[in-house]
Amino acid sequence: MKIKIDYLGRVEGEAGVEFEIRGGKLRRLRINIWEPPRFFEGMLVGRSFDEVPDIVARICGICPVSHMVTSIRAIEKAIGFEPDENVLLARKIMSYSQIASSHLVHLVMLALPDYYGRSSFMELLPGEEALLKKFIRLKDVFNGITAAFGGGRALHPVSMVVGGFTALPDEGRIRGLRSGLPAAGEDMMDVFKTVSALELPDLKTDSELVALSEEGGYAVNKGRISSDMGLDGEEEDYERLFHEKEVPYSNAKKTAVRGRGALMVGALSRVSLHPDRLSESARKLALESGLAGKNKNPFYNIRAQAVEIVHFTEECRALLDKVQSGTALPKLRPKEGEGAALTEAPRGLLYHRYAVDRRGVVRKADIVTPTAHNYLGIEENLRRLIENNIDKPAERIRLLAEALIRAYDPCFSCSVH
Amino acid sequence: MPFSSGEKWRPRAGFFKFSCCTGCGFELAYFQRSLEDTLKSFDFAFFRLASSSGDFDSLLDLALVEGTVTEPFQAVELKKIRKNSAVLYAVGSCAIAGGIPAIKAGGLELEIEKRAYQKKLYRLTSIRPSVLGDYVKVDGCVRGCPPGRHDLEEALVSVLLDRKPEFIEYSVCVECKMKGNICLLVDEGLPCMGPVTNAGCGALCPSCHRACYSCFGLMGQANIPALKDKFRQLGLSGEEIERRFTLFDGLKLKK
Repeated sequence: MKIKIDYLGRVEGEAGVEFEIRGGKLRRLRINIWEPPRFFEGMLVGRSFDEVPDIVARICGICPVSHMVTSIRAIEKAIGFEPDENVLLARKIMSYSQIASSHLVHLVMLALPDYYGRSSFMELLPGEEALLKKFIRLKDVFNGITAAFGGGRALHPVSMVVGGFTALPDEGRIRGLRSGLPAAGEDMMDVFKTVSALELPDLKTDSELVALSEEGGYAVNKGRISSDMGLDGEEEDYERLFHEKEVPYSNAKKTAVRGRGALMVGALSRVSLHPDRLSESARKLALESGLAGKNKNPFYNIRAQAVEIVHFTEECRALLDKVQSGTALPKLRPKEGEGAALTEAPRGLLYHRYAVDRRGVVRKADIVTPTAHNYLGIEENLRRLIENNIDKPAERIRLLAEALIRAYDPCFSCSVH
Repeated sequence: MPFSSGEKWRPRAGFFKFSCCTGCGFELAYFQRSLEDTLKSFDFAFFRLASSSGDFDSLLDLALVEGTVTEPFQAVELKKIRKNSAVLYAVGSCAIAGGIPAIKAGGLELEIEKRAYQKKLYRLTSIRPSVLGDYVKVDGCVRGCPPGRHDLEEALVSVLLDRKPEFIEYSVCVECKMKGNICLLVDEGLPCMGPVTNAGCGALCPSCHRACYSCFGLMGQANIPALKDKFRQLGLSGEEIERRFTLFDGLKLKK
């Protein structure tokens, strides 16, 4: 029996899966990420340092803010610039609101139909009309926040640049954004209930959970590398700790922990490694949903995403109380240097490194995305899942396989870039 | 036949992606305000981002296509889509002007590819980036990176009403003036691409004190030499000027 999915639906970007079951044994399983390469690491060379965030934003249509923030931090390190506290707050607001909306899209539109046995959210209508309305309302709130701080749009925002922001919303606008959050919190609890009621397939894996860690907070825009197997290091240690390999049948590369193997990054790793750093109500939900204590079942990633939306809703509220409206963008002087940065994108660990010359022109660029970090683990755990269900009918196996890949919330455009 | 059976006519639409960030797909499926109306007004026969089923070969009233053509198989697919579709709109800067994926066309492509892959290089099938219009007839352009709300809605509404679309075809300066902004180029000497860039964004950048970086692509009758002169007067080097004009429009200026 051969199973071949040429073009996986309800994921970002283009990939296929194929495997064969013969004599009760699984053979030749591979995930072929055929998303065409756009060669970002190549085309960035020769561009000016201040163009980089706008270029790398276009790696991904769902997490542009993450690519922007990560590149901005790496470049600021390369040219020796440190932004002020208010800029850091505004960047957090950008990242948090983007993670919340990215998770929402994944939960409701991409993942949910799997658990109803449907091929799209549209097929759940009119039965799930109320959920659709809540989804749209929530998306409006979070996109509204990203857009307000991003200069007018949430997708490929314009005001966030190397050095800071060209403008920030005025006080009235910030109050307006904040006032939408309590109602969003209530809507979100309903979405949370829908998600946590889903019966998740069982799957034990041994992927290493990797996420950033920050004292006194839930690490997103910076932090130390941490894992459930004791991995520890700074951003500069990244290349010493991880190893990237080209794959003959795929345009994406596979990343592993050096000397060990597959890792898992994303909401599940963040929540289950650091539940104590979540807001009080999010922490409670995490404990109730079986997420704390190194849960390694990738299907639980959707619950972890729901917990994070609750957490980031509260964090946004607190940050909107703190952030100041005025901004003064410093005049930046390029200088020769190198800088690396790690952040937590919606889908997990994201790495950017740049070398710029004395005129600020990029001489080297390196980008490793969350889905490249997960790729090896997705394949390994898919093998495990199929082997556990090898006696099931082909259609059931196919649906389980798709659901597992989707549970990771992969972004194939990012993984190839 | 539209409206004949008493049931509401739902045009059959398809959304297709070539080399890009999928942002236009996200804009259509999740970001825009009229999401609910869109889902209910159209019968999406193919939209991989939103549905795991769907028929690529379906006959369509409307095909929306995002992305730059950078692989031979995409050119073949594009011709098929064109054959199957009554109306085909190019969506987003990648499909219309080349966008970010076309920066590569401005350099030595093999050198650029080598910086991203070492071992796998011989297996790559990447070709020189092209816009959709290089391969097929395009019935209209929904400009932007990401597309602006007006043009995106216009693309959908014009098909629903079976009329010609009116896409925005003037410069960012028009929108900027209507917002009452002070000119960044004239008053502050910032190298703003507004005068040559197609509008549709709502003059976002100049409204937040940033020079336009032309993400909607050059407009049809842009006076490129005049703006280059102006940039030279502002003290920009030839390289700096070139970079500004090739960020989203690398293909147009090569020709």
